[in-house]
Amino acid sequence: MLELMVCLLCASILVSGFLAVRLDSLVPAMVSGSLAGLFAAVCYVVLGAPDVAMTEASIGSGLSTLILLYAIRRTAGAEE
Amino acid sequence: MAEGILIVAAILISLGVLFGVLRLLLGRTVVDRVAAVDMLTVVSISLIALYAHVADRFIYLDVALVYGVLSFLAVLAVARYLERGV
Repeated sequence: MLELMVCLLCASILVSGFLAVRLDSLVPAMVSGSLAGLFAAVCYVVLGAPDVAMTEASIGSGLSTLILLYAIRRTAGAEE
Repeated sequence: MAEGILIVAAILISLGVLFGVLRLLLGRTVVDRVAAVDMLTVVSISLIALYAHVADRFIYLDVALVYGVLSFLAVLAVARYLERGV
């Protein structure tokens, strides 16, 4: 059961990473990248590292999303 | 009895992850994808809580707490960006 869940989470990380690379609009690509971080945090919890998971959740989800949104807003004219 | 309830919860959480990722993959607009990410966040929090109960280590609930606060912040920031329409 646990191995199945880890496999599902890793497949979700793969799908969101693929979308983050392939999507041509900036905000959905950024959201997909942050989703990869969130699933990685769940994976760390299931694999037994809660401190790593807490750092990943705070930096990968909170901080990097805000910084990337700020960067997209500042460079809005450069979007293709 | 309790084992059965936990297994049913695990199956429902797995279906939630599956359909959320499917919505993210097939989503037509930005709002669809943001809503899918928000739903997947809630499902992931419930998954961490379920695993904290199964593994009998309640330190994992702190991770779920931090996760909930920060993902709420991230979704709020994206929604504010979309509402402003820059």
